Amino acid sequence: MRRLFAWGNVKTWSIYLSHPDATNAWNPPVDIYRGPRGWLLKFDLAGVSPSDVKVRISGSRVTVSGVRRDWVVEQGYSHHSMEISYNRFERTVELPGDLSRAEYSLEARDGLLLVRVDLE
Amino acid sequence: MPEPQNNVQVLPLVPLKNSVLFPNLLMPLSIGRAASLAAVEAALATEEKEIVVVAQRDPAVDVPGPDSIYTIGTKAVIRKMSRPSEDMLEVLVLGVERVVILKVDATEPYIRARVQPYPVPAERNAEIEALTRALLELGAKAISLAQNQQPQNPAELGKLLGFNDDPLRLVYLLASMFSLEVAKEQTLLEAPSRVEALRLMHGYLSHELQVLELRNKIASDARTEMSKEQREYMLRQQLKAIQQELGEKNPDQAEVEMLREQLEKADLPEEVRKEANRELSRLERMPAGQPEHGVIRTYLELLLELPWNKYTEDNLDIARARQVLDEDHFNLKEVKERILEHLGVLKLNPEAKAPILCFVGPPGVGKTSLGQSIARALGRKFERMSLGGLHDEAELRGHRRTYIGAMPGRLIQAIRRAGAKNPVLMLDEVDKLGRDFRGDPAAALLEVLDPEQNKTFRDNYLDLPFDLSKVLFVTTANTLDTIPRPLLDRMEILRLSGYSEEEKVQIARRYLIPRQLNQTGLKPEQCQITDEALKKLISGYTREAGLRRLEQAIGRIARKVALKFAEDPEAGAATVTPDDVVEMLGPEPFHLEQARKELPPGVATGLAWTETGGDVLYIEATLLPDGKGLTLTGQLGEVMQESAKAAQSYVWSHAELLGIDPAIFKNSGVHVHVPAGAIPKDGPSAGVTMVTALASLYTKLPARNDTAMTGEVTLTGLVLPIGGVKEKVLAARRAGIKRVILPKANQKDLRDVPEAVRSEMEFVFADRIEDVLMAAIPDLSERLLITSKVA
Repeated sequence: MRRLFAWGNVKTWSIYLSHPDATNAWNPPVDIYRGPRGWLLKFDLAGVSPSDVKVRISGSRVTVSGVRRDWVVEQGYSHHSMEISYNRFERTVELPGDLSRAEYSLEARDGLLLVRVDLE
Repeated sequence: MPEPQNNVQVLPLVPLKNSVLFPNLLMPLSIGRAASLAAVEAALATEEKEIVVVAQRDPAVDVPGPDSIYTIGTKAVIRKMSRPSEDMLEVLVLGVERVVILKVDATEPYIRARVQPYPVPAERNAEIEALTRALLELGAKAISLAQNQQPQNPAELGKLLGFNDDPLRLVYLLASMFSLEVAKEQTLLEAPSRVEALRLMHGYLSHELQVLELRNKIASDARTEMSKEQREYMLRQQLKAIQQELGEKNPDQAEVEMLREQLEKADLPEEVRKEANRELSRLERMPAGQPEHGVIRTYLELLLELPWNKYTEDNLDIARARQVLDEDHFNLKEVKERILEHLGVLKLNPEAKAPILCFVGPPGVGKTSLGQSIARALGRKFERMSLGGLHDEAELRGHRRTYIGAMPGRLIQAIRRAGAKNPVLMLDEVDKLGRDFRGDPAAALLEVLDPEQNKTFRDNYLDLPFDLSKVLFVTTANTLDTIPRPLLDRMEILRLSGYSEEEKVQIARRYLIPRQLNQTGLKPEQCQITDEALKKLISGYTREAGLRRLEQAIGRIARKVALKFAEDPEAGAATVTPDDVVEMLGPEPFHLEQARKELPPGVATGLAWTETGGDVLYIEATLLPDGKGLTLTGQLGEVMQESAKAAQSYVWSHAELLGIDPAIFKNSGVHVHVPAGAIPKDGPSAGVTMVTALASLYTKLPARNDTAMTGEVTLTGLVLPIGGVKEKVLAARRAGIKRVILPKANQKDLRDVPEAVRSEMEFVFADRIEDVLMAAIPDLSERLLITSKVA
């Protein structure tokens, strides 16, 4: 039976793939802002504490990775459905220009994670 | 090897029935089994949402235990989850890494497994590079093939395959896209190295590609076939519509109506009419395109055409019939009488059963043409079919209508051609029926030729009884030996033996010459052939019992004469003499076995019957000084060999009577040879000749060279009658032998020999072998007379 539908699966092949540069983690969406001192990256990462986030800068790439852990909102409740991704996430963005001497800082505000990359 | 203890995790496990989850890939899962539901619920209650997904070894197992799952699986994170119904879960899982199951901690309420990451060692070398490229190429090909069927398949897939830098990911991606069998996918997951995984995948994908190519071909073939059939259907529908517009009747309908009309008019027996009506109504309900439509129509046409109740009026004027028979054939009194007898019977009793005649005789004596003149004499239709070489029973009795291209048998076809129920039906060459695994046509003939059974002859195709009892069957054969006994018993045997020279001259004058002259357009007075020339033709140019070659030879002469007249219309009438014959036809091709001038002791003249008439044969015997026993050569059959032994025994036991020194038997063997050595011979009728040859050999007295002999001999010296007297006598005369020794019991058969021949020959009739020896060996006769007197 499975064989019969083999190419039915190809139609939906894209759902087998996460974002091309991801491996085994999910990719949070990101907005990128440009400012007088450098870059501001705004990640859609609600429920993630900055202590669980790691930032890596190499060349012109910035990689933000970490873990989003679920927590029990109230005792006695269990999932009926789930749309938020948990566990490991990772996102790499490529920015114009060399970042080797840049510095970064993290801030969680209203469910969004702000990463500032200052070019000194 | 995974060493550090802290890598080990205990996770809920979800067994998969028919797929394998690969690391780095997303897969939607429908969870319905209680244990799996519980496992997913448990995972969802954790912070990390992690589970282990492992394929089942056998998808038929519903509640798998630790033994029925593979030991290598994939750790996964649940990315999304929803509940389409109360007892169903749909989850989207992302494969994280390959894990090995170390231990199953619990199976209730769900399987909890102790797992450890089991990464594929990272490596990079030229072989991996090469395999990756080959796999990419293969993958691209397979995808483009698949895209033919699925045009909406995103084009970037190939691109996506292109920039996959980890070959393992490429393998996993292709595997999930082409949905291989679980066992194959599991081997990919378990592959110990990247090289191994690439190799395996390359093999699997080549197979997939072949399957795809084949499927594409089948699909395109089916498409063309379908459109052709649809086209025909469309055109037919249009044709129908046009005909309706024009007010024309549907041609199928018109045809059925025509057949019905014919059926009503036709004179058919009740049973046949019922069957015909049934077939007709089947025809009506059937669309014309169907192959069976044609089959039924042909069948109905046969039913209509067969002469179920049609007869031709018999001409019962016996005088006229006699005249017709005499016109067509010379002599053949016996056969003509038999035909006239039947005519007489028919006159008194019109219901009389027709006899089944069998004409036996050598080729060219007029068996077939006799059949035709019987039909002419009786005023019946004549149909002829040759059974020579027929080896399939179905040829006679037809094929059942279920077969494609089925036809009625030859008998029914002949009746249909004749158009009457009482034709003269000639079955030629009944002695040359074949027989093989497809059946025995002779056995089928048994039914046909039995007057008791053939009233309801059932052809396989017709499948209705047809009355053959009014058919006058005439069969022909060259010999009776090969006709099966039961078949022979059903027939009345009429022999047509060969013709003598005088008869041939008569037949040539009356029938052959006029016919050949007529064909060449010569007038009788333009070409005269003298009797001497005819005789030369008969003895020197043709060697046969019948007349075929004689007629051909006359035809050649007629054509040569015709050519002369064509070149010179003023030429006078030609008279063909024996010398002209030699000039026209070249030297004589045949030299008859002429009487030998002088016979040495040990040679005697015998007479043989062959299928082409009679022949003279010499039996030669000689003593072998040092030999022992009896040597026989010359392709002698079993009967003839026994006959030679009996002859030897007779001579030995009567040595004293014949005046032979018995010492000669002890000291020497004897060799008997019968020329011509290449022709097989058999039969008992050379018995007396053998005795004569041996007696002549042992007594050293030569036999008479002008005497031929035939007859079977017993050990005690009785001479028994033999067959074929007429042919044998004619053969002796042809060879120039004027004296023939025959068994006394055959004296009556001389009636068959023409008067002219009889009067110029001398016959000796023998009761005992001593009579033969006295007549054949003159010097011995004195000795025999003396001894018999003394005795």
